[in-house]
Amino acid sequence: MSQQYPALLVVVPLLAALVICGAGWVNKRLCFPIAVAGLGVAAYSCIGLLLRVLDEGVIVYKLGGWDPPMGIAYYVDHLNGLVLVVVSVVALLNLIASKKSVAQEFPDKIGPFYALYVLMVTGLLGIVVTGDAFNLYVLLEIASLTGYGLLAMGEDRAPLAALNYLYMGTIGACFYLLGVGYLYIITGSLNMVDIARILPSLYQSKAVLGAFMICMVGVWLKMAFFPLHAWLPNAYTYASSAASSLIAPLVTKVMIYVMIRLILTVFTPEFAFNILAVSEPIVWLAVIAIVMGAILALGERNLKKMLTYIIIAEVGYMVGGAWLGNRVGMTGAILHIVNDALMTLCLFLVVGNIVHKVKGYAFEDLKGLFRKMPFTMCAFVVGALSIIGVPPTCGFFSKWYLISGAIQAGHYAFMVALLFSSLVNVVLFFRIIEIAFFEPFTDHHAHGHDHQPEPIDEAPLTMLVPLWIVAAALVIVGIYTGDIVNNIIQFAIPEGII
Amino acid sequence: MKIIGLIIAVLTGALLIYGTVDFPEWADPASPASTHLSPHFIEKTMEETSVPNIVTAVLADYRGYDTMFETTVIFAAGVVCFFLLRILKKEGPRQRLYRHALTGMTIRIRDGEKRPSVLDEFERIDTMWTPYDVIIKTVCRLLIPFIQLFALYVIAHGHHSPGGGFQGGVILGASIILLAISQDLRTAIKRMSEKVDAILSPAGVFIYAGTGALCLLLGGNFLDYSALASILHVDPVTARSHGILIVEIGVGVAVMATLIWIYNNVSSAGKYDEGL
Repeated sequence: MSQQYPALLVVVPLLAALVICGAGWVNKRLCFPIAVAGLGVAAYSCIGLLLRVLDEGVIVYKLGGWDPPMGIAYYVDHLNGLVLVVVSVVALLNLIASKKSVAQEFPDKIGPFYALYVLMVTGLLGIVVTGDAFNLYVLLEIASLTGYGLLAMGEDRAPLAALNYLYMGTIGACFYLLGVGYLYIITGSLNMVDIARILPSLYQSKAVLGAFMICMVGVWLKMAFFPLHAWLPNAYTYASSAASSLIAPLVTKVMIYVMIRLILTVFTPEFAFNILAVSEPIVWLAVIAIVMGAILALGERNLKKMLTYIIIAEVGYMVGGAWLGNRVGMTGAILHIVNDALMTLCLFLVVGNIVHKVKGYAFEDLKGLFRKMPFTMCAFVVGALSIIGVPPTCGFFSKWYLISGAIQAGHYAFMVALLFSSLVNVVLFFRIIEIAFFEPFTDHHAHGHDHQPEPIDEAPLTMLVPLWIVAAALVIVGIYTGDIVNNIIQFAIPEGII
Repeated sequence: MKIIGLIIAVLTGALLIYGTVDFPEWADPASPASTHLSPHFIEKTMEETSVPNIVTAVLADYRGYDTMFETTVIFAAGVVCFFLLRILKKEGPRQRLYRHALTGMTIRIRDGEKRPSVLDEFERIDTMWTPYDVIIKTVCRLLIPFIQLFALYVIAHGHHSPGGGFQGGVILGASIILLAISQDLRTAIKRMSEKVDAILSPAGVFIYAGTGALCLLLGGNFLDYSALASILHVDPVTARSHGILIVEIGVGVAVMATLIWIYNNVSSAGKYDEGL
């Protein structure tokens, strides 16, 4: 069966989503186990696939048995092997962690929620695993459509924020599709490897330039790269905790993967870095994204919204790192996909726990939380240290690679932006830790003041255990960074990039 | 802000037009799109899949994997509409209107009031009710069976002529929606209940994906219909043709159920009580 891993990791969650949708009408309690089973098989296949890739190199899987470029083929190399594992594991952990909050937030719509959840993960996994430019768009549609639905269900302002996201996301996806259309007209192929084979003779063509720019802008819109980020903060903030802790860690990261895939495989680094003179301006855009993300985050008095601005800054890290055009920067960008997915998941799970118990995430709601929810807040500290970039957490190492890449490329502004953002993160997180540690817990509903210490009122174990696994993973990934880079990421970057 | 928007729109448009300068000539037979893959499809489709309609073969076999996910997109849209709109709490409308069929007299019963026992001579009508038009009602009643028959033809005949699961499914769905428009939503829901829609919609996609998974279990790759040859008792090429028909039926079922499901949710604002 190991030959079929590439198909299983998409097909099993898809079938699971369909079964969940039907099972919701029979017995709601069936939905969660089916979802766990579906994503569990997907995660198992992803890990098995990565191990096979480490052994055998690139794996090609022909869907329908047709040879590419006639049919659709999956190409799994070290790059998407790694991202697949991250996506499936993050989705599975969040699924288990959010069981209680889903039951609390949508008691009568558990079936459709889990169906959309699993379908969204199917879409994300499909985007990552595919080797066909149009197939990527189709899966992007699935991931986006389900994402709009999941984000629209939440607080009062959630539908409006999701509608905003829907407009922007649709424009982004259309741009990508238009770019693929351009490529098809001039190459006659949709297969990424085939396009890359045909393109070199057309590098001077204006249509290739047009296709490249449109694809990039489309992907940037979907990943909320700075000037195109306006949809993200509200959409992620007002959504339910279960949905935002799935979408915040994964969607932007998967879109970064798509950008790197377009650079490395479709247009080739030769075209992106040498023939086009765009890498310099793009890194400058990334610098602005990082600085603006940090500054906007400083202005927030609301934990969840602050985190969304940190995501925007982190997107700047990865885009900048990928466009530095050297091996170290690209390594940093790919490593940061892994790390940022884990860090963001950790922090959003913490927010989920806080919302579950305190019913709010504004700074005033955080008072005294270290006493009330010590285990959750310890994980928060680990996540915060990782975002700041304190060794031995993983955030330090990817930032190290990014900064070394910036120095090697001679792009000191990017280095300064990274350091600035780290300093701002210190301020952001220590401000929260101060509020949560020193200020006493105030219950808005209780009358009168008694100075009794607040008893521990932790989130349930099903939420704490996944959170702690993620927090531990932040440290473990940090310690094994060397192995990840030497055994996986090193092979993900083509020889041409020095 | 409007001016900035205008400038960006103009710049984007200019970039797009600039990109088209190097495009091949319009309808150029030597363009890459016509020379790279198309010859293979045109020459080999019949012998590889035994489907006379090349478009169907590309859609449901060569690139059948995309089509499976396009069906999933429609299913996802149905689930999203249900997820966002459906109001599952049992709260009736504030008032219900009943019309005496013979006299045309209408009575209004507020929520919570006791219902008179002779209500079975009355029929329930919508708040925005307009008097029935005999012509519309009769024409729709006559047309709907033929529409549905034609839909089945479109699904089944996708191998030879334009058509297939998507188109046939839309026509089938439209026939039920026509019933809902010409009569009222409750009549349509009596024919196809919410549960039937909600189960048929994933079931249709399941037929598609399940066929693919069956190929996988029989030793082929995912969606490699030729692996079905052993259970269909035909040669692998004919098995591909049959496989396409099976998945087209799945697409038809999914599209039909999802369209009706979306219509019910949107037209009644999730209450399933009074439609358009």
